[in-house]
Formats: sequence, structure tokens, C-alpha cells
Amino acid sequence: MKQLLTLKRLIARIGLALVVLAAVMGVCSLIGTEEVSLKAVFAGPGTRTTVNPDYDIFIRFRLPRIILAGLVGAALACAGVVFQVILRNPLADPYILGISSGAGLGVIIAVISGLNWTLWGRSPIAVFAFAGALGTVWLVWFIGRLTGKFHVTGLLLAGVVVNAFFSALMMFLTSVTKSDQVYSTIFWLMGNITEGDFLVLWIGAGCVVGGIVALFYLGPQLNALSFGADDARSMGVNVARTRTIAFGIAAGITAVAVSLSGLIGFVGLVVPHGVRLIFGPDHRQLLPLSGVTGAAFLIVADTLARIIVAPAQLPVGVVTAIVGGPFFLILLIKYSRKVSWLT
Amino acid sequence: MSGIIEVENLSFGYTSEATILRDMSFSITPGTFVAIAGPNGAGKSTLLNLICRALRPDSGTIRIDAAAIESYSTRALAAKVAVVRQELAPIFGFSVMETVLMAKTPYYDSMGFESRVDRETANEALEATDTAQFASRPLASLSSGERQRVFIARALAQNSLIMLLDEPTNFLDLKHQVGIYDLLKVAQVEKGKTIVAVTHDINLASQYCDEILLLGADSSYHIGKTKTVLIPEQIKGVFDVDVFVGRVGKEEFFIPLGKFAKNRGKTNKEAGNI
Repeated sequence: MKQLLTLKRLIARIGLALVVLAAVMGVCSLIGTEEVSLKAVFAGPGTRTTVNPDYDIFIRFRLPRIILAGLVGAALACAGVVFQVILRNPLADPYILGISSGAGLGVIIAVISGLNWTLWGRSPIAVFAFAGALGTVWLVWFIGRLTGKFHVTGLLLAGVVVNAFFSALMMFLTSVTKSDQVYSTIFWLMGNITEGDFLVLWIGAGCVVGGIVALFYLGPQLNALSFGADDARSMGVNVARTRTIAFGIAAGITAVAVSLSGLIGFVGLVVPHGVRLIFGPDHRQLLPLSGVTGAAFLIVADTLARIIVAPAQLPVGVVTAIVGGPFFLILLIKYSRKVSWLT
Repeated sequence: MSGIIEVENLSFGYTSEATILRDMSFSITPGTFVAIAGPNGAGKSTLLNLICRALRPDSGTIRIDAAAIESYSTRALAAKVAVVRQELAPIFGFSVMETVLMAKTPYYDSMGFESRVDRETANEALEATDTAQFASRPLASLSSGERQRVFIARALAQNSLIMLLDEPTNFLDLKHQVGIYDLLKVAQVEKGKTIVAVTHDINLASQYCDEILLLGADSSYHIGKTKTVLIPEQIKGVFDVDVFVGRVGKEEFFIPLGKFAKNRGKTNKEAGNI
């Protein structure tokens, strides 16, 4: 017997999920090429002359990286949830409307132009990726609107076309640039979590957490939208407003994630489905739990990326696909008998 | 006029060349059960979509409960008009109870949850439509007749004055067809709802509905008491098919006569019907 979701149950479940996330963060922060002992970390930073190495590694490298991975994972998972319901397409992911190629194009332009400034400690690559991502989504949205009031098919086709066009531009630019520049672009495209400074983390965290909280408040409207725009409207839901806000936030947090870490695939597709299979489709629950699960998932994936070929590092995007693929298949086989929308 | 739905000089076409509804005017009395019937492409569903504002008229006005339809907010209109569309399942597996509760979406509290009263309303709607036993089952695991009843339950939970239905008995067997119309009749009689249903079944319409709106393919229309509108000449004119008329007690029945019907060519009188 399935129980009805109440605020109390929801808070309990989110709390439990956060505890699990904290445990995952704790364990992953102690794993790495350098042994770090928690006891030594608690001894404090040490004095100016004798720096406590454990503390230093933990605070300056491990922790920021884990927080960053968590933010990116949460953002991509929640954006995936939103794109899947707004486009009414279970195959949608945060990159479906061309964000990936737009960001990629931004990156390669930044690399070619050889800009050398930084903004809040981020290279021009991140800034251009962000601008490219948002610009592309705006373009796709604009073209989609030209095709009709809000035609999902029109929007998807606009996404496909813009994606193809920008990818072609990217390949053109790649083929005319020097090889070492190409390498840094490709490395970015594969998705990477690197140590960032705290200011960037705080700004990113503010955007992502704020965005997810705002999306949570759209949960009931997104539920109604699962039945289609006409039905949602006749139930009294302001469809245009809900769609625009949800779409804007989802695109925004995806752009933040992409500018922080490049293109990390699979999180935005697999995590929403996994959470939906286990906890059901109610967006009031699906959004926060997907956020927490996405964070934990990417933290684990990034830890694997750090240690599998240590002291070298794998691009985390490779790990998410390799780990996420089979994991998702197991879920699919185990639960697909229960859920009929898959058939 | 004191109709709950008042349509005046309404015209609509999906393209500027092909007008489907032309200069239509009618008024629906509160608390009546009205059928909209007519051949394919006559604009039955289109009219329904105009009355719930899913489409905007090219010209003319529609008033719901004495106010122009454009003057309503989405939420306020939902308090007047609930819609049951042709069978559609959501892309994700919501349960029956979750589905019915969604009727209360605009009234959820600040955290996005329903109140106890909302839950009671939903439970009543489930009881009224005989779907309470499926409450926790996913929508997609139900048969189409059961699912149709769930969508009617959702419309009931919306507590609106008017209920619009687009072919509510499509794909249903005889028992379930009658079941749905019984349900609607109860909603009309007990709750005083105004019910407007698009249907292909003029027999069910003549049995259950007070009035009928017959839409012709040439933008002609006839509206009135079912008894006065559903006469053989009118049906022949609108559907372009001969009908047999039979009578059992007070009920009249219409059976279309195909090319190979054995009594074709005889008038209804000669065939011994009326």
C-alpha cells in the first residue's frame, strides 16, 4: 500500500538522504592518493612554520573538490527532472536543448582567442562556457516559440538543429586550431572536477541550492504538467508561468554546472529515473531527493576518477557513464515490472 | 439570458480559409445535461476547447457564469469549468489518489501540500465514481473504463459548476458506457452540476441528456430538447444517414441504416416503427 506524501514524511526522507550524503562526503574525503587521517585534520591548521599537511590537503583540496562535485551532481540531476517533465519526454536530459554544444562552442572560442584574464578565479573557459550555454538555451527557446505557442516537438527539433549546427562549428574550429589547444578543449568536453577556490564554490552553491529550492515550490504544478498542458490548465495551473520559470531555473543551474566542470553526462538522465523508479513521480519529493542523490552519485564517481588510475586522473564524465550505465540497467530490470510508463 | 454558458456569434477556424464554427449563438441553463453530437470534423471537440479556453475564438463572445471567459484567471476559470479529455495517460506513473488530488493544485498550502479537506474531497470523488478501491494503484494499471472514471473523479474533486467531457464513453463496452452516464446524471441531479458531453452516441444522449446540440459539417447547428432535435429528418440532415427510430416505453432509439440494410428504402412508417 503506497502512502500519500505528507510534508512530515518528505522532511524525514530528505533528512535521511542528507545524512547518507554527509556520510558519503566523509568517506570520500578520506580516500585518495595521500593518506589523510581525520584525527590529524581535527588538530587544526598548525602554525605558520609547521603546516599540518593532513589539514592542508583536506581543507584546500579534498573538501572543495567534493563540494564542487556535489553541487554539479545536484544541479544536473534536478535539471534533468525538470527537462523530462516539461518536454514530457523520459529521454530528456539537461543537455537535450543544445546546452552542451553551446557551452562547447564557448569554450573553444575562449581557447582559440587565448584570453588570459580570470573572473573570480575562473578562467575565460568557464565564463565562455556559461555564456555559451545560456545563449544557446535562449536561442532554442526563441526558435521553439516561433514554431507555435509551446510546441514540445518544435522545441526539441530546434534543440536538435542548434545542437548539430554548433557541434559543426565546434568541429570546424577544432580542425583549424593548434593541437595543444584542442587537447584542453577535449579535456573540458569530457567533464572534469578540479579544485576550485572557495569564492567560486560559494557563488555556485548559492545558485544551485537556491535554484533547487525554487524548483521545489513548483513541484505541484510540475505534477499537473505531467498530464499535459491542456489538462494542467483546466486544473487551474498557470502553465506558461510554470514552464518559463522551471525552464529558466533548470537552464541556469545547468549552465552553472557546465561552467564549473565541463560536460558530465549521464547524471541528469540516470539519477532522475533511478529516484523516480524507487520513490515515485511526485515532483515535490523527486526534486529534492534527485538533488541529494545526484550529489552523492557524482561525489562517488569523482572519487573513483581520482583513484582508479592514480596518480593520474580520469575525466569524471567517463566514470559516470561507465558506472551509471550498468547501475541504471539493473534498476530498470528490477523495477520496470512495477512501472507501466516504460512499456 | 441567464445561461451558465452563453455563446454569442461565435466563429472559429484553425486556418483562415476553413471556418468550422460560424456565427453560433446558444445558451445553456444551469444544472442541465447537454450533449454535443455531430459528424466527424463538425467541430464538437473544438467547441469544447473554446468553452474551456484551450482555444480562442476568431470572433464572438463566450460568457461563463455571467462573466466573459477572457476575464477569468486560470485558477478562477478552473473553479467554474472542469474538463475530462479523451483518454490520456501521464508520462510518469502517478497513482489514482495522487491524480485525483491534483484537482486541488491551485489551493495547496505554501509548502505545496494539500489540506485535510482537500483529501476528504478527493476521497468523496473516489467514492462517487466507485474508484476508491484503486486509490493507491498506478493509473496505467487500470482499464480504460476505470481510468475514465478516475478522470471524472478528478473533475468532480475540482468542485466546479460546469463539467465538460470529450467523448467520455469512447472505447468503453456497453456496461461501462451506461456506468459513466449514470455517474454524470448523479452529479447533475445531486450536485446541480451543468454537464456538457461531446458524444457520438445519440442513443445515450437521448436517454440521459436534457438538451442536445447537433453540429453539422457545414457549420449548421440545432440546439434544443433532445426530443425535439433528435428526429429522423434532422439526423439525416446532419449525419447524412437514414435512421430507424424505435421506441421502448418513453425512450426513443436510433439505428443507422447502411447501404445493405434489409428495410432500406422504406420510410420509418412503412417499416412499422413510428
